[in-house]
Amino acid sequence: MNGSGRILRTSYVVASIAGVAFFVMSVALLGVWPGRVLDGETRAMSPEHPLGLTVSEQRGRAIYSREGCAYCHTQQIRYLHADMARFGAPTLAWETRFDYPHLWGTRRIGPDLSREGATHSEDWHFAHLYAPRAIVADSVMPAFPALFDGSADHPRQEARDLVAYLDTLGRARELAGPEGEAHARSACQCAADEMKQMAFHAAALNGNPARARRQGDSPKLPAAGNTERGRQLYVHNCASCHGGRGEADGLGVTGLHPRPANLAGHEYTVDRLSYVLWNGIAGTAMQAWRDLSAEDLAALAQVVRGFHQAAPEPDLPANIVDLGGRVYTANCSQCHGEKGGGDGSAVGELRIAPTDFRSVRPSIAESLRALRNGVEGTQMAPWTGRLNEAELSAVAYYVRGFYQGAQ
Amino acid sequence: MSMSEAVKTPAPPVETGLVYAHGLAAIVTLLISVGFGILASVELLLPDFAGNPSWLSWGRLRYDHTQGIMLAWLGNAFFAFLYHAVPLLTGRSVTSPRLGHWLFGLWNFAVVAPGWLLVLAGFSQPLEWAEFPMIIDVFVVAGLVLAIVQFLPPFFSRGLEDLYVSSWYVIGGLIFTLLAYPMGNFVPELVPGARGAAFSGLWIHDAVGLFVTPLALAIVYFVIPAATRRPIFSHFLSMLGFWLLFFLYPLNGTHHYVFSVIPMSAQIGAITASALLGVDVIIVVANLLLSLRGSGVFPGDVALRFAAMSTIFYLVVSIQGSVQAQMAVNQAIHFSDWVIGHSHLAMLGFATFAAAGGLVHAWQRIPWARYNARALDWAYWLLFAGVILMVTDLTIAGLAEARLWQSAAPWLESVRSARPYWLVRSLSAVPIAGGFVAFLLGLTTGQKGAGLQAIQQSIGLEPVREIAPKLARAASEVS
Repeated sequence: MNGSGRILRTSYVVASIAGVAFFVMSVALLGVWPGRVLDGETRAMSPEHPLGLTVSEQRGRAIYSREGCAYCHTQQIRYLHADMARFGAPTLAWETRFDYPHLWGTRRIGPDLSREGATHSEDWHFAHLYAPRAIVADSVMPAFPALFDGSADHPRQEARDLVAYLDTLGRARELAGPEGEAHARSACQCAADEMKQMAFHAAALNGNPARARRQGDSPKLPAAGNTERGRQLYVHNCASCHGGRGEADGLGVTGLHPRPANLAGHEYTVDRLSYVLWNGIAGTAMQAWRDLSAEDLAALAQVVRGFHQAAPEPDLPANIVDLGGRVYTANCSQCHGEKGGGDGSAVGELRIAPTDFRSVRPSIAESLRALRNGVEGTQMAPWTGRLNEAELSAVAYYVRGFYQGAQ
Repeated sequence: MSMSEAVKTPAPPVETGLVYAHGLAAIVTLLISVGFGILASVELLLPDFAGNPSWLSWGRLRYDHTQGIMLAWLGNAFFAFLYHAVPLLTGRSVTSPRLGHWLFGLWNFAVVAPGWLLVLAGFSQPLEWAEFPMIIDVFVVAGLVLAIVQFLPPFFSRGLEDLYVSSWYVIGGLIFTLLAYPMGNFVPELVPGARGAAFSGLWIHDAVGLFVTPLALAIVYFVIPAATRRPIFSHFLSMLGFWLLFFLYPLNGTHHYVFSVIPMSAQIGAITASALLGVDVIIVVANLLLSLRGSGVFPGDVALRFAAMSTIFYLVVSIQGSVQAQMAVNQAIHFSDWVIGHSHLAMLGFATFAAAGGLVHAWQRIPWARYNARALDWAYWLLFAGVILMVTDLTIAGLAEARLWQSAAPWLESVRSARPYWLVRSLSAVPIAGGFVAFLLGLTTGQKGAGLQAIQQSIGLEPVREIAPKLARAASEVS
């Protein structure tokens, strides 16, 4: 056995060396070599000066890391049509160049966040981080009250940092714009590579169906929808903010500026609801719902229109109508438009589009409330200092006359 | 070459105190790790039930759960087994009992305990199987070096005469873990984005493939011949399996990022290696099952029963892994609960059953240790039921999620549809946690030295008595 003993001893040594060689080979083939390729791609395809992270955004990234966000939200859109349809263009190597360490993730309980930037408003994020289920009823996301001073509208610096970071996701590539895409595409030298080409063929860079758009088309909804289905959808998706009866008293109301619309206090045309559901309201927490079908949106629109109780219209003396018209022309038309279409000359200056009275008719109470208190979070200021009671009432009635949806 | 011959040669004393210390630490930290997992699973059902203090937030619990299972439970259990096995495999003592105290202290009080606390306090890194902060990683590497100094020299000393495949796995496992650990824990912090992810992917697989699998296989390869008192069926298959494993496992890593921007040739290489790995596992498992022939699927000896079921779980989880790495499957089930089921089948099924088998086997041979055979029986059956329930449930959940993700349904539909499955998963914690409590009782209650009686009772060994007539009958039928 002495001879075999020596062979065994040396065999352990040989084995160890061979094994180490296997390991080194794996690191070389699957770590170092792909790293070099990716590094080359990054250098070739990246814009010359991509926007990195500010100090606040970096702190936000550290919070995202320590809370394990990446264990439910990936930051990697795969080169697959199913991924692209939900989240947008597949992730390019250069987009990840500031990620120390990467946050790609291997599990999706929540959606991918590679292109979350500019998808939801800041107040939406604060309210959602503070109490996720107050905004998204069926969410299972942990709440992070420790980032706030007691309520969603008192974010601490940590919450601000985190939201600032979330807003950077996908930003560099969006800022690079069409020129950036063209540059990356030509530097890619992958005209024949069907998969790589997918990175440039996405219908939209940010395919998130929740992203609000300032303008866009919307589907023509069927006049009637399935009420039962509509109620279900409303409870799951809308009631958390707009309240069970559309009275804007849902759990998520605190922290949202402007507050969610009081659906019971307004009449809406079907087209208006279609537009808002399809495009969201840019600048507010009202996201878009493009992941719902036209039938579902019609069902929702039906439920929303059902919240409004028609009240008998008072007959107004002609002098009040005249007064309302004069006050409106002098004070309101710059933003709300001469014909109440929300298309006044100052609209380009406004972060949030003013109400289009042709498709939305506020109740007298809502109209007066907006005139007296302003609409917090928008540029609609209180008018009590400039208009007297008669003028306020007159214009409150007057704007209702623009509505074109009445049967 | 067989175990029975080794038993005849006078073996050096086993450091039973260190076996006991690491064994107990393993079970206690296991219960804590399982606690983290249960809390995390309940938070998916009732996200606000704990009141949302930051140290109990889901992400931090998730970090502590997996790090605890890998480093605390399996790490301690492996060390306990090595203190038992290395002297028997080599005919020499481990390097130094005093070093053993250092290793025990370092591993539990400089790695596990502070690692857990730091994660809960918000200090961690967001890298899978590498969540403890970097300062802890330094101590892990130090611990691995100590383990190598403690356990490997006996294998290389003069006069070694016997070759056990178990030894190969011990040597391979410890050395490669030391090499792979820094790659997964330090490199992605230095290399950004997609490049870092490539290294991270390697470690995700190496943590399981180079640390957990070799040491779990070392246990199975040790316990089966030691408990059945028959040699391994084929040393050729043992060696073939070993070499294929160490060739193929490290090449698997990129299969965690299929359809990503990482070069397609690296992805395809990893996918191919993943398929071949299934072939390797079939070889290894065939060899182990043939070594078990005659003992039945549920052998009488609990240690052997754990090892046998570990072998079967190993086969299932590896074939599953080979399949789910393939592009057609991966594009659907990746990111879903299917993968969570897969990892539990690996860590809770294969690795935990092997570690439990190794612990019980070593425990039976500590003359002064308490041993409660009934409790261990309960532990086995509760864990068996729990694993099957949980993995089946999560696999179906994954398929349901995959189907919704492929459709046009809104994202939240997949969350809503997963909830009943998550409820079942949380309920599966009842048998699993119950099984682990029974396991703790099995090794801490009962009479001192009862383990030795358990060995005596399980000798008798149907194998030879039953298999010989069967073989004779088969032979006569063929002729």
